Amino acid sequence: MSVRHAILGLLAQQPRHGYELHGAFQAIVGGSLWPLNPAQIYTTLGRLEEAGMVVKTAIRRMGGPDQHIFELTGTGRDELDRWYAEGVHSTHQRDEVFLKIALALADERADAGSIVRVQRATLYRDLHELTTRRNDVQVLAQALLLDKAIMHIEADLRWLEMVEARLHEMRRLPATDIPPPRRGRPPRTAPERGGAQTRQPEENRKGTPTWQS
Amino acid sequence: MSISFTLARRYMAGRKLRTALTTLAIVLGVMLIFGFNGTLPGMMEWMRKSMLASVGEVDLNVQSASSALFDQRVADKVAAVDGVAAATPVLRRNVTLPEKPDYHTTGITVIGIDPVVSPDVRSYPVAEGRMLAASDDDTNARPVAVIPASTAEKMGLAVGDELVVPAASGAMTFEVVGTLDSPVPPATDEVYVSLPLAQDMFAAPGRASAIEAAFEGGADEETVQEAVGDAVGDGYVIGSVTADSTLAAGFEVAGTIFNVLGLFALAMGGFIILNTFRTIVAERRHDIGMLRAIGASRRQILGLFLTESLVQGVLGTGLGLLAGWGFATVTAAGMSELVGDLMRIESFETSFSVSTWVLAITLGMGATVLSAILPAIAASRITPLDAMRPQLGDVYEKAATKRGWVGLALVAIAAGMLLSGNDGLIGLGGLLLLVGMSLGASAAVKPITDFFSRGIELVYRREGALARANLQRNPGRAGVTVSAVMISLALVTGIMTMTAAVVGGYAEYAEKATGTDYLVIPQGLMLSGGMVGAGPEMAEAVRSTEGVGDVATLRYAPAVVGDLTVQVVGIDAEEYAKVASFRYSEGSSDADLAKLADPDMVLANASFRAQTKTAKGDTVEVMTPEGARTFTIAGGGNDYINAKLPTVYVSQEALADLWGVTADVMVLANATEGADKAAVLQSLGATIDGFPSFKLYDALAWQQVQNDLFGQLEIVYYTLAVVLAIPSLLALLNTLAIGVLARTREIGMLRAVGATRRQVKRLVVAESFLLAAVGTAAGLVAGVPLGYVIVRSIGAVGLEFDFVWPTTGLVVTVIVGLLFAVLAAIIPARQAARLDVIRALRYE
Amino acid sequence: MAIVETKGLTKVYGTGETAVTALDAVDLSLDPGEFVAVMGPSGCGKSTLLNLVGGLDTPTSGTVTIDGREISQLSDDEITRLRRERIGFVFQFFNLIPVLSAVENAALPLILDRGGSARAAAKAEEWLERVGLEDRRANRPDQLSGGQQQRVAVARALVTEPALVLADEPTGNLDSKSSEEIATLLRQVSSEWGRAILMVTHDPRIAAHADRIVFMRDGRIVDDTKIAGAESARDAMERVGLL
Repeated sequence: MSVRHAILGLLAQQPRHGYELHGAFQAIVGGSLWPLNPAQIYTTLGRLEEAGMVVKTAIRRMGGPDQHIFELTGTGRDELDRWYAEGVHSTHQRDEVFLKIALALADERADAGSIVRVQRATLYRDLHELTTRRNDVQVLAQALLLDKAIMHIEADLRWLEMVEARLHEMRRLPATDIPPPRRGRPPRTAPERGGAQTRQPEENRKGTPTWQS
Repeated sequence: MSISFTLARRYMAGRKLRTALTTLAIVLGVMLIFGFNGTLPGMMEWMRKSMLASVGEVDLNVQSASSALFDQRVADKVAAVDGVAAATPVLRRNVTLPEKPDYHTTGITVIGIDPVVSPDVRSYPVAEGRMLAASDDDTNARPVAVIPASTAEKMGLAVGDELVVPAASGAMTFEVVGTLDSPVPPATDEVYVSLPLAQDMFAAPGRASAIEAAFEGGADEETVQEAVGDAVGDGYVIGSVTADSTLAAGFEVAGTIFNVLGLFALAMGGFIILNTFRTIVAERRHDIGMLRAIGASRRQILGLFLTESLVQGVLGTGLGLLAGWGFATVTAAGMSELVGDLMRIESFETSFSVSTWVLAITLGMGATVLSAILPAIAASRITPLDAMRPQLGDVYEKAATKRGWVGLALVAIAAGMLLSGNDGLIGLGGLLLLVGMSLGASAAVKPITDFFSRGIELVYRREGALARANLQRNPGRAGVTVSAVMISLALVTGIMTMTAAVVGGYAEYAEKATGTDYLVIPQGLMLSGGMVGAGPEMAEAVRSTEGVGDVATLRYAPAVVGDLTVQVVGIDAEEYAKVASFRYSEGSSDADLAKLADPDMVLANASFRAQTKTAKGDTVEVMTPEGARTFTIAGGGNDYINAKLPTVYVSQEALADLWGVTADVMVLANATEGADKAAVLQSLGATIDGFPSFKLYDALAWQQVQNDLFGQLEIVYYTLAVVLAIPSLLALLNTLAIGVLARTREIGMLRAVGATRRQVKRLVVAESFLLAAVGTAAGLVAGVPLGYVIVRSIGAVGLEFDFVWPTTGLVVTVIVGLLFAVLAAIIPARQAARLDVIRALRYE
Repeated sequence: MAIVETKGLTKVYGTGETAVTALDAVDLSLDPGEFVAVMGPSGCGKSTLLNLVGGLDTPTSGTVTIDGREISQLSDDEITRLRRERIGFVFQFFNLIPVLSAVENAALPLILDRGGSARAAAKAEEWLERVGLEDRRANRPDQLSGGQQQRVAVARALVTEPALVLADEPTGNLDSKSSEEIATLLRQVSSEWGRAILMVTHDPRIAAHADRIVFMRDGRIVDDTKIAGAESARDAMERVGLL
């Protein structure tokens, strides 16, 4: 996880003790935006020391408890360089909202539409919050992080918009389940009552048991 | 409201070319109306003044209402009136002097006065020599004359010199015995002779042109004037001198023509303004919608546009007034130069009366504001929602089809009227035709452009097709332009048709008149007042010339019928029939001519019958110097020379009895059979030399002169026609320029996707050609019937001509139309080609 | 009391077979100083809603009440006056008069209201200053950037001190930076100057500046979410003395 690499990167700048590392991290990501507790820093430092990527070099005393100064090792430097050299894969396909909606469609007690609305309201509140903060932020690095967050929210909102527009379509499809063991007759869609049904999607007949775009 | 003015001013300044073109449209009309109305009264006034000046110092002046000569004994009646100190007859005639270089003048007024009584009525301050004396009355003595010092100086004469003046019996030579210091009307040359001598000179024994009288001291002028009026009876005019009525009539006709031209130009201007404002409204749809949304009321929007039209009107009218002033000044200068000698007017001043100002300003402003009303109303109906709509397109003509049908219906009705044969219906039909075709124009744009663009597309395929699509996209605007071009060119065709008919008709008249071999006529053409007639000596001399066969003479006197001044021409029916002939109106023949033997019968020309609303067999009351007489119209006939003026023909005996006229103003003669015509012409020439105010023509030479005259007339008409078409050029230019402005973006896009400057230019030119072609085609279609209407209507007012198919006119119209297409396209095409691509694309 | 209230607002275009229901019984109300964004796919009726609220179009049925006056009861002239005095408009295409300077454009509603032009100009300059264009007052629209033009339009909308500002895709024609600035300005209009705003937009980022977002679909309101803390709106109102 990137906290590891953040610590390696910060130590590459200069040797620091744990509390300093926490402060430097906060300064980059804008504090409350990406909350990180100091304990997490110390745990990670311990693991890195075990892996031989950092070393404790000295103890400083400032009238308080002992403070260890950490320094980057050659192995640590190699790991950092490898991290810089690699791309980062997207993780958006693992999406919680998607799961909520997908499952809610098959759950009589849940309402997929309501999930979409709640999610949207939540995202708009976040967006409102973020855009408000974005206007106050002075540090460029933090602004860029905020922009990324805002853009992702915009993308999520657009996606929700699309989902909402197609909810009724998805409701008509059979619930998604484990694929049948053999390709036999396609499961037929139960015809809906009333005239509300406008179009039987062509894909259904072919029996592809997933949502079609 | 100041915001309206601010907006109007800024919007107009932002579209300078369009504003200039729109302004020009109004300027032209206002200029014509203001300019001519400023010239005409000045001209009339000057003429009146120059005539008044000669009688100015006289207390009372009596003339016959018809300006005919009358019995000099009327003076006695005047003298007998209480309060009149003295009255004296005067015979005043204008004489054309034979061409003699050292005279420096072409005309002179011969004034016959009574040397004894006249000095009691008017003062004659002698400068040198002596004044006329009673002894100078002797017609057998050597004739003497007194001239004003200014005339003496101009003609290089001194006391003791001789002055040759044409007279009825040939030339008369006077000895100048004195010069006068009396004021002379500007540019007038006078010669005073004794009355009997003057009467002798003009073959008018015992007759006077005016009675001049002086009041007794302390007499009430008005009372005396009234008493004099009662004493002389009807048929006389007391006190004022009016300008020569035929000349005045001529100027009035010219004035009417100019006013009609001006109105026409303004109507065209109205078209252009309508077009401009429709475009403006379409262009500012967004702005207007926004204004409505933020709280402008409908009335405010209406006011906004009316204000703009008002500003436009003020601008155009103001410049028009200025141009009109310039036009009047130039005309005045030009006229003075041109006719100064002929009419003896040296210069005259332009005068702009209050009514001229009011007329020009009202019409200029009125045309502008009225034309803007419809677009302004359309603008006020724009809803605020239009501000919300992202795309502003052209305003489409929704009612085009409906109006097209109305137009078609009108054209059909008009056709029916034109074929009806009834003059009134025909006139109305012509008007309906134009209205109908104007209405139908926008509906007709598509089919006609489809047709014509084929030609253009043969040469420039893409440009032609694009141009056509552009026009068809906005049939309303194209329709307005087409209507403007159509009406102009219809008028061109109409005038050409009229010209063809008139010229052809006159040629026919002239041919009839020149059934004669020789003509002896005064140096002017018309037999109007002031011409020196010839005594019986001339006709006698012609008759006795060897080789001359039949001879006929024409005599002339003015008369009044109702308010109308008419000519009375005396002929000898028998003689006349031998050497010349009338062009008889329908239902009349030589048999009617013979009826003139009865002194109560007259022959009337078409102009007379039309203006007095009479027909063959009707009676008509004519005011003669002997009082009112009733004549019966024996028939209708026209002769060439008098066709333009209302004329009746009477026997020469009747003319002598009633008007006291025995002088011949025209002599027609035929050679005897087998005579050597050239030799006869030569010996006749020798005979006529003794009569310097007459000219001799043989038939061929005469026709040549007439043809030259018609050549000039045709040129004048053609110029007039082309001038009439100029507003349509402006309309065309305006439409194209607006089209280029409105499509700036599109042109930028065309250029961006690879159209060359040349192609863009071609596109505009093609559009111009299409518009002009449609307009020209419609103009031809409407013009021929219009020409027919004009010919019929001038027939109805007394000039009978046959309708002739105007081939030349049609060709000229087509040429004018195509020429205009090129001319109108030049500026917009260059503008379109020069558009900067980037800026054009950004244009909104 | 609500500054705007619609009840059963319905708009049907066309008749018979071709009839399209653009707005279907919409109930909506805006409090003074509230900033509401209307969102939804194109054709959902959001523009129609805005037009009806602005009195630019007449409803097929239902009522619009502005400032306690039901506008269907008013004549065209009265609606025009209402628009002039109580409503400010901001359009997508800025819609400034091209031949007038920034200050003249901003002063237009006052001039149309026959206000003295000196007073109008002073007022317009004051608002231009507030929207940050004090040094651009003499420029014509074509000398201003899109964002600046829209600022002039905002100044124009506010110059009559209206209770309500209607904005139709106010950032639809702007780049993202200018959009953000205009949105911030509108936020200011609501929270600092206390005007209620009804804004139609399709840009979530712009809508996020609002206090409340109304979602529409097929002519109906499908969701109505308060996205800013109730406190902040309250604070804003307190600040401008509305509470």
